[in-house]
Amino acid sequence: MSVTKLAYYPGCPSDATAIDQDMSTKAVFEKLGVELVEVEDWNCCGAAEVEDPELVYALNARNLAIAEKEGLDIVTPCSICYYNLERSNIALKADDKLRAKVKGIDSSLDYNGKINAKHVLDVFVNDIGLEELSSKISKKLNLKVAPYYGCYLGRPPETAFDDPDDPDLMDKLIELMGGEIVPFSQMKSLCCGGPLMMTRSDIAFEMARKILDTAKSAGADCIALACPLCGMMLDGKQADIEKALHVEIDMPVVYITQLLGLALGIDAKELGLDKNAVDTKELLGKVV
Amino acid sequence: MIKTWELDPNFKEEIMNERGGEHLTACFQCSTCTIGCPITEYVPSYNPRKIIQMSLLGMRKEVLSNPDLWVCLICQTCTARCPQDVQISDLLGAIRRIAEKEAEAGNIKIDSSRPIFDKAFQHQLEKYGRLYDIGLAKEYYPKREGSFFKGMMAMMKDYKDFGMRMFKKGKMGPKAMFPEKVKDLAVMKKIFGEMGEK
Amino acid sequence: MGIAVIGGGVAGITAALDLANSGYKVYLVEKNAELGGKMAELSECQMGLSPYIAKVSNHPNIELMLSSELESLSGSAGNFKLKASGKEIDAESVVLAPGYDVFDEIAKSYGFGSPDVVPSLDFEGILKTVTAGDSGKLVRPSDGKQVKRIGFIKCVGSRCQENEICSTACCAYTAKEVWDIKERFPDIDVYVFYMDVRVFGKDEELVADLKDKYGVHYIRSRTPEVIPEGDTLTVKFENLEKGTIDKLKLDMVVLAVGLQPSKTLGRLAEITGVNTDKYGYIETGITSPIETSVPGIFACGTATAPMKVRESVGLASGAALKAAVLSQRTEPIPGQEDRKYIEVGDAPPKIGVIICDCEGEVGQTVDIPAVAERVKGVKGVELVNSETKTMKEAMSAIEGGIVDEGLNRIVFAGCSPREYEDVVRDACANAGLNPYLLEFVNLREQCAWVHDKAEATDVAGNTLRMAIERAKYLDEIPIVRYPVTPKALVIGGGVSGMTAALGIADTGYEVYLVENEPELGGGLRDFTELQSGEKASDVLTGLVDKVKSNERITVYTNAKEEDVRGRAGSFKARIVGDGTDEEIEFGACVIATGAREFVPEGYLGYGSDNKVVTLSEFRKAGKSDAGTIAFVQDMGPNEGVVNSKSTSIEVVDSALKVKEKNPDANVFVLYQDIKTYGKWEAIYKDAREKGVIFLRYDKKKQPEFSNGILSVFDVIFNDEVQIKPDQIVLSTPMMPADANERLSKMFNIPLKNGFFMEAQERPKMVLTPVDTINEGVFICGSAVYPAMIDECIAMSTAAASRANVLLAKNFLETPAVSAVVDDLICVGCGVCVDVCPVEAIALTEETVPVVTFGVATVVGGLKKVAKVGDGCIGCGSCASYCPSSAMSLKYFKDKQLYAQLDYAF
Repeated sequence: MSVTKLAYYPGCPSDATAIDQDMSTKAVFEKLGVELVEVEDWNCCGAAEVEDPELVYALNARNLAIAEKEGLDIVTPCSICYYNLERSNIALKADDKLRAKVKGIDSSLDYNGKINAKHVLDVFVNDIGLEELSSKISKKLNLKVAPYYGCYLGRPPETAFDDPDDPDLMDKLIELMGGEIVPFSQMKSLCCGGPLMMTRSDIAFEMARKILDTAKSAGADCIALACPLCGMMLDGKQADIEKALHVEIDMPVVYITQLLGLALGIDAKELGLDKNAVDTKELLGKVV
Repeated sequence: MIKTWELDPNFKEEIMNERGGEHLTACFQCSTCTIGCPITEYVPSYNPRKIIQMSLLGMRKEVLSNPDLWVCLICQTCTARCPQDVQISDLLGAIRRIAEKEAEAGNIKIDSSRPIFDKAFQHQLEKYGRLYDIGLAKEYYPKREGSFFKGMMAMMKDYKDFGMRMFKKGKMGPKAMFPEKVKDLAVMKKIFGEMGEK
Repeated sequence: MGIAVIGGGVAGITAALDLANSGYKVYLVEKNAELGGKMAELSECQMGLSPYIAKVSNHPNIELMLSSELESLSGSAGNFKLKASGKEIDAESVVLAPGYDVFDEIAKSYGFGSPDVVPSLDFEGILKTVTAGDSGKLVRPSDGKQVKRIGFIKCVGSRCQENEICSTACCAYTAKEVWDIKERFPDIDVYVFYMDVRVFGKDEELVADLKDKYGVHYIRSRTPEVIPEGDTLTVKFENLEKGTIDKLKLDMVVLAVGLQPSKTLGRLAEITGVNTDKYGYIETGITSPIETSVPGIFACGTATAPMKVRESVGLASGAALKAAVLSQRTEPIPGQEDRKYIEVGDAPPKIGVIICDCEGEVGQTVDIPAVAERVKGVKGVELVNSETKTMKEAMSAIEGGIVDEGLNRIVFAGCSPREYEDVVRDACANAGLNPYLLEFVNLREQCAWVHDKAEATDVAGNTLRMAIERAKYLDEIPIVRYPVTPKALVIGGGVSGMTAALGIADTGYEVYLVENEPELGGGLRDFTELQSGEKASDVLTGLVDKVKSNERITVYTNAKEEDVRGRAGSFKARIVGDGTDEEIEFGACVIATGAREFVPEGYLGYGSDNKVVTLSEFRKAGKSDAGTIAFVQDMGPNEGVVNSKSTSIEVVDSALKVKEKNPDANVFVLYQDIKTYGKWEAIYKDAREKGVIFLRYDKKKQPEFSNGILSVFDVIFNDEVQIKPDQIVLSTPMMPADANERLSKMFNIPLKNGFFMEAQERPKMVLTPVDTINEGVFICGSAVYPAMIDECIAMSTAAASRANVLLAKNFLETPAVSAVVDDLICVGCGVCVDVCPVEAIALTEETVPVVTFGVATVVGGLKKVAKVGDGCIGCGSCASYCPSSAMSLKYFKDKQLYAQLDYAF
């Protein structure tokens, strides 16, 4: 296995709404024998709310520079963090003037473009590889799973590492773990509505409901995903959606890192599976 | 009816000078962005193609005060599919930034709470270097509702159940009451000072 | 030596045949095991192409190298050494025709894997099976359910980031597929999603018919997804009038997928050293559309740009001419050898029956041995051979039978005569048997393809028996040869005419070039600069000098041609002009009369407001100081006129140049469809990026100009936009040359909207773009349809090549199947004169024996009698109308047909 040590960028929700994702990411990498070194004193990537690309580049130049000093590629479990880190990385690598401008703000932003930015899913499937993972998987997931990718894994083309319309890296991983993929192609990369949660929750709820409904009618035991904002929307807000739209959904939503952790034989609690808003106990019974 | 001589022919350059707006004129009005956009199902008037054509013609005021600018999900579907690489997601971001500046200068009114939210979000980063949920809510809701009291009521409505749920699951403990701060806050100030909107 | 043609698709085949038929040795190198390329995969086209494949496969001058790839090339023009799959070839020149590949990275959003969403080429396959099948229904691949609503999505994988340019062919091939569906399944609802409808000339009329007469819905939306929902497919589009995104539920969706350079082209360019452009196509110029960067190597078809079959074939003939000029004729031309025929006379029939399996096409349905059993032992049948599997085997069986067994009648049963009749007749002639002692039975289309096994075998047996009865009564038809005059007449002295004249002269023949204006030059004189940046006057001067200094070309200006007589290979005419009245003889004629701009009197105030000018006036002026300028495309009558293929290219190019010279100018283009086909898509993008504003109007709501305000209802925007222009530039339709009416009558070539029609072999498909129904007369340039200079040059070079094929022959044969009159029976009623479509029959008054019955005397007397002239085309109309059975058609005599019918009843 080529990957042994990575700089870890947890992202802002990692100590709150996505603590389960943070826990499971750390546990999985440990089990896989990959050392994660948290980016020292990391700052927010800018999320979706900082729209000025230059500001995003400057914010992430600092994160990248810190990782670069360690000589490590940077990895994050969050799709938006990944998008911001990677687009900054691409822009800074390509544009000397931009790099100089950013460096001019503060010497701690002096990034030389020597590292790569990665999403955990990319690392699992493409760097560590299915073969290697398969040798470490000890349990079978007898689960029907709706793999939900959201926006930033297959889009925009500049930073994408999967197909924009019908991505399949998570599918491969789930099948490797013995899970069954339910028909879900058209939902895989449809936006969950998360970005409008605070300003147009009416729309956001309807969008999330569409995804949850489709998973349910496809007979899924759970939705698997790879982004804390999607997690907040589909899991954290699910009860609010049920209440607001007068529907019953009750669809467990788990992070792909949590599923991988289970397959690797890690204890559910260590993976934060007691912290998902929709109860996950029924799923655990199907992991053998 | 649109009288072209009353419009601002320089508007397209103004957009193209913003980062993200560079590809505006590549558009050939094919509708790919609009047809594939998930938001049109909920906001039928939403039409990025038309926003682009209006921008090209120089309909500055109409574009900048269009409330639909603020329902964009930034989901990048349009950008991924655009046959002419217009990078519509970034382009709309560029237009939104011009609109925010104009609104701050009092030239237009924006009929959306999204700019208030985005600003409040950025303020957290400027202050702490990371997102502070409670700080964000405390700034956003009162500004949106026009008073502190109304803001708090609105926040309670949105977050009462959610907060309890997160608390019970151990996702929002007492720790979350206080901001996680970046140690080197001085650099955050500098970044926002240099790159942030003035 | 000879010529190496690389690629055995429609372009390679066309080039090879033109060359081989004019006496050059051809090495045809094809990477696949079969000829035909992409075109053979198209349902309608396969049928059109197969006769050509048959001819190539059996041509003595073509060395076919299948499953071969070019490995190396050295040497230079006149002396190339090539190696293809280990075999060495010496060639004087090389023609590259590697074809195209289809775009294969189709976004998954088109159907998310649904089998009911199919690329166009796969759909052609489906259409093909519907032809052959007996269900008579179009069913969808997933569940066999009948298709009731079908959608076509255009520009999949073209005009996009992955493939920047326009694939040119898709709009037309989609229209053809839609037409095919509506003709066969009128109840199917068809929806076409498009951006711009980029069809030209006749295809433009087809699309108008599809919209108006067939009720096909054309929807302007580049729809990016097809979503399977339940058992239907949902397609969204923008309803521009309502300002909403609407949904349609369809049963099946066809993706009109774009074209890309052949995957082999990169390596081919490396081996041959020819330059490629940034899109990966072989680089050519707009004034040299066939020449590559390496002298002696020529390119044609989709190797140089995406294009339709028609244009590919034109370029291919053009490439053949260019290659021929550098090479020596070394081979005899088939059919030109001296032939001696066995005298059959009244000898009793010795019939040979050859039944061919046609590589399984017949045998898999028809029980050939059973059919053979039925005809064995029939009186007059000397030999029955049912063992032949291919046309080659069948031909040697025929030749052997005639030479060794002394057969004097041949009945051939196998594939379609449309593809093989010529080939089989040639086999008979080669063996010394008069080729009209052959009877041809079609066991494929008329038996194997339309019946089940038992029925097909029965029908095959019956048809064959009938044919044998007819064969017994076949007579020898004398073959009359006449010499070919090795000279050509070219009508029109513009770029096309001059190019054609030079091409013909370069292959060694004399040319009369007739121009009705005082000087050569034609429409190009209206240009200052070409789209490529070349100065028009430089191009023109170059051509005129070459023509004038060419010893083989005689130029007549201020002159016209009159009184044309004769037939292919042997025409006569008078050239009348300033002090000239000369009788000339020629074997071939090329019509290149060009076109002219429509004068848009009254359109947007043209003629009364000097702000309003035509595009050519604008170009001639050379500059514009206007601060706001509006180009209006397609200003002219809506019906009955033809827009130039290059209209959009010229408009966009002009708008772009204004913006380049004066970036502050407000430049608007008002259009219905932007038709910057092929690589010209790049200038459309360039113009947008430089700030030209495009506004789309509908032909039902024309722009208006009054009080200094130009109003246009922009249909994409769904609002009226008003402009205060300092100048308005109108691009107008093109009008046919005045001479066309006269020439049409003189040469018997029909016109459409005033432009000459090519001979069309199949509906909606043109494989002979410069040939006409009058053999020996060719058309090219804007006389056929107004087009850009590159296409005019390509087409006129093609016309030269076609003329060369004809002039290379020493002799031609008069049509063998023609009408004959029995003077004794004819009563001179004149019905035949009225029904003859080519005016080949006249009534004459002459002394003939008058037979008086009853008194058994024969008296000489004067009476009116029909006389069949040289122009007879053997259509048989006269024979069927003649009330006294005096008129008959050779090869279709009553006794022959009755014998055939007698067996059946």
